Amino acid sequence: MADPEQDHHHDHDHAEITQGEAPGYFDIMETAVRELLIERKLIRADEIRRQIEVIDSRTPALGAKVVARAWVDPSFKTRLLENGRTACEELGISFYDDTALIVLENTPCVHNLIVCTLCSCYPRPVLGLPPDWYKLKPYRARAVSEPRAVLAEFGTEIPDDVEVRVSDSTAIVRYLVLPMRPDGTDDYDEQQLADLVTRDAMIGVIPVRVEQ
Amino acid sequence: MTDTQHLVSRLPNDIGGLPADPIQRIDHDLEPWEKRCHALADVLDFHKIINTEEKRCGVEALGVEVIGKLSYYERWIVAFANILFRKGILTPTEVALKMNEVEGRWSQAGSGSRELV
Repeated sequence: MADPEQDHHHDHDHAEITQGEAPGYFDIMETAVRELLIERKLIRADEIRRQIEVIDSRTPALGAKVVARAWVDPSFKTRLLENGRTACEELGISFYDDTALIVLENTPCVHNLIVCTLCSCYPRPVLGLPPDWYKLKPYRARAVSEPRAVLAEFGTEIPDDVEVRVSDSTAIVRYLVLPMRPDGTDDYDEQQLADLVTRDAMIGVIPVRVEQ
Repeated sequence: MTDTQHLVSRLPNDIGGLPADPIQRIDHDLEPWEKRCHALADVLDFHKIINTEEKRCGVEALGVEVIGKLSYYERWIVAFANILFRKGILTPTEVALKMNEVEGRWSQAGSGSRELV
């Protein structure tokens, strides 16, 4: 199947004033549907504006904060693994959608990987929006059947004696990988630890590494 | 499995486990309308007008050809329109007329900037 997402890159900057450039058909459709719903008083314009701010406020830095806290605070980690959502809420991270969060701990014996084979479900409140590759066919199709090969394409070689577990997200259940704390970080404080944690490590495609 | 059996055993977006190309680690910043479309999805969910599962089914219902040709958020907005039609909240005529109005507004504004929301 041709991959439409890959054809969707433009070399111009849409953030600029769009003088001289007509909005596309689907852009116009979005505006029309939204304005009709606002006119019917089914939704409000300020709700859309507010939600754009919420979307912009969610970045992998939030997930990194959760991971670092779990590394330094064993009782927090216990609560996090018990109920991801309420533990994140302890750190002031709100869940604007109606989803449960299950946190999956990587250990020397188990490596976790998350995917959404049916669409693009993702722990948005703690990681923001998923990268394009997470939404595209190659990752969605192959992560469940050949996870080791997929991981290798991210440069991650998982030893044969380590179990690879793939968790498939749903509309209401989302996952976050709690990566292993890297060696050589005993004297790191919580913020320094958080700075090491990347989005891709919390999806489970790479480990957390101490930068050389 | 025959071709026709394959057509009914899997929905077009149900691709887990199928063979596919190598991962290409591409990503892009959302265009303004894509971000608005995402915010619209969230707000529709908050108001229980269209939830995430309905959106997913709505994308499936577009069929394999449309799913294959439209980009990610193009599928979303078309699915939303179809679901709203099916629920009797909007009609295709209303959306068509509104789209004409939106387009006309932009051409009229000419050198002006485009309103976001």
